[in-house]
Amino acid sequence: MSALEFDAVSVRYGRLTAVDGVSLTVPSGQVVGLVGESGSGKSTLARAAAGLAPVSAGRVRLDGVDVRRLPRRRPLQMVFQDPYSSLDPRMAIGESIAEAMPRGAGRRAEVARLLELVNLDPDRADMLPGRLSGGQRQRVALARALAGRPKVLIADEITSALDVSVQGAVLNLVRDVQRRLALSMLFISHNLAVVRYVSDVVAVMYLGRIVEAGPAAQVLTDPQHPYTRDLLAAAPSAHRSLLDDTGDDPLADTEPADPHHPPSGCRYHPRCPIGPLAHPDRTVCVTTDPAGEAAGRSHSAACHFAAGHPTRRSA
Amino acid sequence: MARRGTWAAALRTPVGACSAVLLALVVVLAALAPLLWGEGAAAIDTDAIGQGPSGAHPFGTDSLGRDLLLRTLVATRLSVGLAVLATAIGAGTGVVLGTLPSVLPRRVGRLLTAVVDIAVAFPGLLLALFLAVIFGVGTHGAVLAIGFATAPAFARLVQTLSASVSGRDFVAAARIAGVGRIRLLARHVLPNIGEPLVVNATIGAGSALLAFAGLSFLGIGVQAPDYDWGRLLREGLDGIYVTPVAALAPAAAVVLAGLAFNLVGETVAAVVGVRTHATRRGAPPLPAAPSAPGEPPADAVLVVENLRVAFPGPSGWTVPVRGVSFSVRAGEAIGVVGESGSGKSLTALAVSRLVEAPGLVTADRLEFAGKALAEASDRELGTALAMVFQDPMTSFNPARRVGGQLAEVSEQHHGLSRRQAFARAVDRLAAVRVPAPERRARQYPHEFSGGMRQRAMIGMGLMGRPKLIVADEPTTALDVTVQRQVLRLLARTREAEGAAILLISHDIAVVAQTCERMLVMYAGRIVEDLPSGAAAQHPYTRALLATTVDLDTDRDRPLEVIPGRPPEPGQVPEGCAFAARCPLASDRCRAEDPVLEPAGDGHRVACWHPQVTVLSGQSQEEGAA
Repeated sequence: MSALEFDAVSVRYGRLTAVDGVSLTVPSGQVVGLVGESGSGKSTLARAAAGLAPVSAGRVRLDGVDVRRLPRRRPLQMVFQDPYSSLDPRMAIGESIAEAMPRGAGRRAEVARLLELVNLDPDRADMLPGRLSGGQRQRVALARALAGRPKVLIADEITSALDVSVQGAVLNLVRDVQRRLALSMLFISHNLAVVRYVSDVVAVMYLGRIVEAGPAAQVLTDPQHPYTRDLLAAAPSAHRSLLDDTGDDPLADTEPADPHHPPSGCRYHPRCPIGPLAHPDRTVCVTTDPAGEAAGRSHSAACHFAAGHPTRRSA
Repeated sequence: MARRGTWAAALRTPVGACSAVLLALVVVLAALAPLLWGEGAAAIDTDAIGQGPSGAHPFGTDSLGRDLLLRTLVATRLSVGLAVLATAIGAGTGVVLGTLPSVLPRRVGRLLTAVVDIAVAFPGLLLALFLAVIFGVGTHGAVLAIGFATAPAFARLVQTLSASVSGRDFVAAARIAGVGRIRLLARHVLPNIGEPLVVNATIGAGSALLAFAGLSFLGIGVQAPDYDWGRLLREGLDGIYVTPVAALAPAAAVVLAGLAFNLVGETVAAVVGVRTHATRRGAPPLPAAPSAPGEPPADAVLVVENLRVAFPGPSGWTVPVRGVSFSVRAGEAIGVVGESGSGKSLTALAVSRLVEAPGLVTADRLEFAGKALAEASDRELGTALAMVFQDPMTSFNPARRVGGQLAEVSEQHHGLSRRQAFARAVDRLAAVRVPAPERRARQYPHEFSGGMRQRAMIGMGLMGRPKLIVADEPTTALDVTVQRQVLRLLARTREAEGAAILLISHDIAVVAQTCERMLVMYAGRIVEDLPSGAAAQHPYTRALLATTVDLDTDRDRPLEVIPGRPPEPGQVPEGCAFAARCPLASDRCRAEDPVLEPAGDGHRVACWHPQVTVLSGQSQEEGAA
């Protein structure tokens, strides 16, 4: 059993609170997809789990152990977004992979095994990353993460730097490896379609908070939070024209809030289509933070009117 | 390896050749001069004391009658040797000082950084003089003094460089993998900052040479009976009005050797930073057989026929855009899709006249608004063609207010006064739905969010009356909700202004949603030109559609993939460029390049085996990668 638990985790950089009291559990052997726009704090949350960002409050636990107390070779590994920056350009890929392994004999054989696991020719172990394509580099990065024999894998936007034709192969591989090794995985992406394909549980993040979380099928078919609904509606689809659905409401042009000055009450209220902009009587959104009673609502939705507006299915 | 080629090319540039010759001269002299002429230079000739230039002594003699030419040549070894030694001490100390803070406990590290910062603020020569007094007068003292005086600058450089390397993901990955601090430094950081350090050390050796000559000249460097150029200079200076050459010879030697080090540093920097321009540059390869262009429609805003963009490389020209033909009608929205490296962005830049030298744009026909693009004036382009780039942060000047940057267009091209132009800027910002445009116009670009900046960019295009808006991946850096806003804005702008849109994107869904027609590019060619609703006929387009993940993708099946990878621009195979990845490829595909030909209503396709049957868009190829 190896569950990764975030318990009221906050990450602050100076006056900026990038992650604000996030609680989230990645159950053993499951994939939790974390979606949100850039600046929502999803990558910071991942980096906090990996020990790359300072946890200002709360705890990140792996099997009940605080990740800060884990041994140096920790059972939690990460794959980064940009495969061009995540591999040392001066180090042969085999060496990069071997470096992440515990000391001992048989490293070379283990490198070959891992390269085969990620569908790369083991003869390439002596190549420098410069001679590989983006998709191949991302496989090497995955192999390096697996070399540490992790129980938990964090995948931070691993396909957003790749072309669509390559993206599929990397996603197939990650899903396959996750199932074969029964890894727990936190899969971060801004692309809802990709998250939907990979995840068992989906969590939606907005301005440093989780606004909705639940089983993937339920969250995506029966979204409770208006932000989740907006995300679903905005996902590009070849089958839908741009202008047909909501028409021209002025809300569509509101600006994302500034994380340095988060709005009072519900953080989504300045953009919310069911909030005070559309219903002036809903002052509670401006005054009261809906996070307080989120646990009691369906999908832990951080919205005062989540229950009042059930299914408006899209896609 | 490509590196060897770059070195050879660098040596063929004037600077490279000079530096090589000078360095070779200095090295040979340093090695051989003391062996060949050491005795001659030391031979005292009491009959020829303090003579001027003569046949026997071209540069004259010194106060003991020793030949100055020989002495200058022999002094090369000591002068250069001491300079190199001092630089080595400086660079070595600098690397240690610069890397220690990342290994030491945090407080000690900060203290060390502060000390280095203070030392950097000190003028180097002053520090060297100070240290020379501490270490004692003499050669050893001077070497240590100059070495330690240059160390802070190196330490600072190492700190800055390693800070930028440490911020990269591979260092983070190594940390997560449990790599210790010292190994991290030795294996990941130092190798990646080595090149700029070597360049700086080489240039630093030139300065050390000068500094050493300075110390010796002041009498606190090399002491008799040893001599270096600085000492010779000092001795020669006494008689500068009688025999000027006695001082000028060592001075010239210092200059030449200093120049040698600096030029070598420049050359190395050029190779390392790949700043060399290729020298061999024949004509670019001839255009291939043009595709069959139909007569463009009468209301075409943009007509492109057989467009090619070529760039010179170390081994000849590469042609990332290889004969692209299309036209855009007034008010039409056309999307260009393709993977990275397909030439879609270069096509957009070429039709906006933004491909810069040494890139070369050729076309049989390239017309904008009925005129040859090459002949259009900047004003015409500036007002009739708008460009929206991927990263709006870099397309605005960060030091100027947004409103002023928009107003500039009208001041330049419409002759409006500053006030009128600003009013128009505010009006245009309102037109692209920037909230509170009056206030926003007075803000700087960094005060705008990504989506708002992109709006402002479109607003800038609307300062004129654009007939065409070229948008190159305008929403790639944005989130889906903001992406939708910007795409809607483009669509509305097109309606309101009647402007045609050329939208470049890697995302076929975005293009299908926004445009009436899409051009699918692969390896520098258009492989299909189809109406957005139509069923794709080219196997590549079909594969692209099949690989796109959307909210309806079946979760229980593996995703579709396209096996293999696109050819590099320099290595496009004979025949169809997609043949190697195509499930339908035949011998003909591998031998003959298909031409883009009409295939039904408003549909063109370049394929020997187009798929005409109406399927649901699912192709069968799977798995293999």
